[in-house]
Amino acid sequence: MDKSVLELRNLCKSFGALTVTNDLSFTVEPGEIHALIGPNGAGKTTLIQQIYGAVQPDSGQVFLNGREITGLGVPERVQAGIGRSFQISNVLMDFTVLENAIVAEQARLGQSFRFLRPAFSDKSLKAGASKILSRVGLEDRAMQPASDLAHGERRMLELALALATAPKVLLLDEPMAGAGLEESQRMTEIIDQLRGQVAILLIEHDMDAVFRLADRITVLVEGAIIATGTADDISNSSAVQAAYLGSA
Amino acid sequence: MSGIRNLIGLVYEGVKDNRLLWLLIIGFALFPIITHFADLPFWNDVAMRIMLLGMAAMGLNLVLGYGGMVSFGHAAFIGIGAYCAGISQFYGITNGWVHLGFSIITCGFAGLVIGYLALRTSGIYFIMITLAFAQMLFFLFVSLEAFGGDDGMSIDRAEFGFIDLYDPLRLYFLIWIALVVVGMGLMFIVRSRFGVTLRAIKSNASRVEAMGLSPLRFKIVGYVISAVVCGIAGTLFASWQEYVSPDIMHWTRSGELMIIIILGGLGTLAGPLLGAIVFLLLEECLPLLLGAAAPAYAENWMILFGPFLIMVVMFGRGGLIGLLSQLQVRRNARSDHRGP
Amino acid sequence: MTLTLILEQTFNGLQAGVTLFLVAAGLTLILGIMDVVFLAHGAQVMIGAYAAAAVAAATGNFYIGLFLAIPVTFASGYVLEFLLIRHLYRRDHMEQVLATFGLILFFNELIRIGFGPAALYSDLPRSLSGFVEILPGAPYPIYRLWVILVGLACAIGIHIFVSRTRIGAMVRAGANNPEMTAALGINIKILFRFIFAVGACFAGVAGMMLGPITAVQPGMGEPLLILSLVVIIIGGVGSVRGAFIAAIIVGLIDTLGRVFLPAMLRSVVDQATADGAGPAVASMLVYITMAVVLIFRPTGLFPAKG
Repeated sequence: MDKSVLELRNLCKSFGALTVTNDLSFTVEPGEIHALIGPNGAGKTTLIQQIYGAVQPDSGQVFLNGREITGLGVPERVQAGIGRSFQISNVLMDFTVLENAIVAEQARLGQSFRFLRPAFSDKSLKAGASKILSRVGLEDRAMQPASDLAHGERRMLELALALATAPKVLLLDEPMAGAGLEESQRMTEIIDQLRGQVAILLIEHDMDAVFRLADRITVLVEGAIIATGTADDISNSSAVQAAYLGSA
Repeated sequence: MSGIRNLIGLVYEGVKDNRLLWLLIIGFALFPIITHFADLPFWNDVAMRIMLLGMAAMGLNLVLGYGGMVSFGHAAFIGIGAYCAGISQFYGITNGWVHLGFSIITCGFAGLVIGYLALRTSGIYFIMITLAFAQMLFFLFVSLEAFGGDDGMSIDRAEFGFIDLYDPLRLYFLIWIALVVVGMGLMFIVRSRFGVTLRAIKSNASRVEAMGLSPLRFKIVGYVISAVVCGIAGTLFASWQEYVSPDIMHWTRSGELMIIIILGGLGTLAGPLLGAIVFLLLEECLPLLLGAAAPAYAENWMILFGPFLIMVVMFGRGGLIGLLSQLQVRRNARSDHRGP
Repeated sequence: MTLTLILEQTFNGLQAGVTLFLVAAGLTLILGIMDVVFLAHGAQVMIGAYAAAAVAAATGNFYIGLFLAIPVTFASGYVLEFLLIRHLYRRDHMEQVLATFGLILFFNELIRIGFGPAALYSDLPRSLSGFVEILPGAPYPIYRLWVILVGLACAIGIHIFVSRTRIGAMVRAGANNPEMTAALGINIKILFRFIFAVGACFAGVAGMMLGPITAVQPGMGEPLLILSLVVIIIGGVGSVRGAFIAAIIVGLIDTLGRVFLPAMLRSVVDQATADGAGPAVASMLVYITMAVVLIFRPTGLFPAKG
């Protein structure tokens, strides 16, 4: 039996009287794209934050490839194999596209604490960085400052930086948010190509993209799972209709 | 053998990319020739002060300009460095290398402790806690009667083996060599993987975290390095002025260092040195100018200096380096225009 | 004997605390609401002290000096906000620190030109000089007692102003949410200028009252400024209540520490060590307190909600 890449066991989190994660358990299997959907305020981003390590759960456990990572901080979890993109695109705006990738590449190699050789002119770092960029098709934008990129390109760059750490599971928080139609399609294609290479937990409001991409869908309402299944299961589920799709 | 050749290659590459910094440093090496023939030995003294403050500002710039940490307490490290020389002399240790070693270790340790505590906070709290630590050390030395307390103590110049510091030129070149070493070291650090990561943290700490790095560790290491550089400057400062007092670490000096950096160009290698040149020249020349215009007020040059600082902050985006590169761009644009 | 000393020093600590609060109150509002690090607040202390001393010397009446110094500091705060500070609202903290640092140099020099570098001393009116027995056998200067009372009265006034009045409600709204305040149709520019001038005014009052106790000289506000920054950080930026409690704590720790710490150390370690380390530790006590507070509560004791 294949081990799950990511497993959440009985995760609970409340802010004061507000319960945002209510005894939540689910898994992300190797190579699958697992979509997490739910109305606003369902606790999706808080859940991502708990998997990522930026927010600690009140109780419950998080496992990555069977190893518990619950108490770890963000950098340790990233090193363990969790990659992430943010809701608001999050790149190094003062750097060029290539420099963004170089910083990620040297971090992946564990070489960030070196003091002698210049980083930006290093041939092997540059080669690695170009490889990172080519995964999302940004090679020809390498010399542009990140601040000059169009919104969609910046999201691509962020995805590339998240992939650069060679994650075992990738957390994508609304990668289509704010993107135009064309950009969404492009992003959908790229995520589709990642299927099988890396397990993906996808939060997305764009239902077309979700139904096209997701192998499994989990529906979250008020911090609890009301359904998990394939796209067909979910669109036919009356509970989901009532709680979520119907009200939209 | 090839290691040395590689190193020389790296130095050459770095110097080529930072021409202005090295032009300034070479200028300092040639400066005593001018003062010798013009018979103005006083200006050697000014140049030494510029190099020392410039060195300290370069150290602070690693934290302030490259790391985005607004430390308002770096004068403390200059002070610790100076007192390392002073206290050593007090106990009869006259060897300057020992002073420097003592200073590097002490400042490194102080930087580690202060950095570790202060970097838990951010924004305005960080500015204030660094100021508070500096004040704490200031009052510590004020109250240490054994070392002169408020009045400080006179000390002899350190002995650096064959370098007799009572020969003013040898002192000058000792400071100059320190400047070269600091400049070279910072040039390597800023361009290295570490330096790049530090700049990335300034740009976006949460992205760096998402790459699996802990920003705090990089910031602390950067803080320690900059503390050590300021300490070296302080130790030499003590030998230069043959006197140590808490005044050297007055909070206004922390402000001065920041002004020097802003004036020259934040987050550039040559900026702090250029800023120190202009800052201290103004400090020397404003009284003269004011004295010529209104002799009664020659002492009150600060009345012009204060507003000047405000102007620099309000309008001097990018500092002198920014201004120079704008001129460069304009000149290039014009020559392109005239081109074939 | 020691009880008398403790009582006397506690009152001195309170006096230092309320003075500190007058400076810190304006500063914490400026920092909390406008997000401006205003280092030249110490210059307002100095301006208040000089205005009071100069007018008192000219008229021969201490109270006229105090009374006239209030509009002077209010005006200086108002003009300063208009000329410089409003241009700093959108700048980062470092630029604010440096611009107001330049302002300090300017004001110190201006005072030096106007009044000379030497300190001014002002005489107390007969009604405020002399001593009163706070306990049988424990005389205390009337003037310091008067400072404590005026300071407390100002503190109560500021508290009522911030918590009960309409402008105070705007101040609190501004601290939490400038956009909302603007949406309510409150003219935020005027509000900011008013707060700034009032803050300057309280700093000026602190300066006036300090005049007869300390030397009135250029740069006299700077130690007070740095201590009041410590107060704000301990109390939590933007919180008037926090500033008050922290100011009293800092005033007491500083005053009592200097007097009693060396003696306390002497009972633990040998005399020579205690005499050497006592004053050193005492002078660092305030900063150690701040560091400890920040380690456990990185946003101060009473962080303003926001």
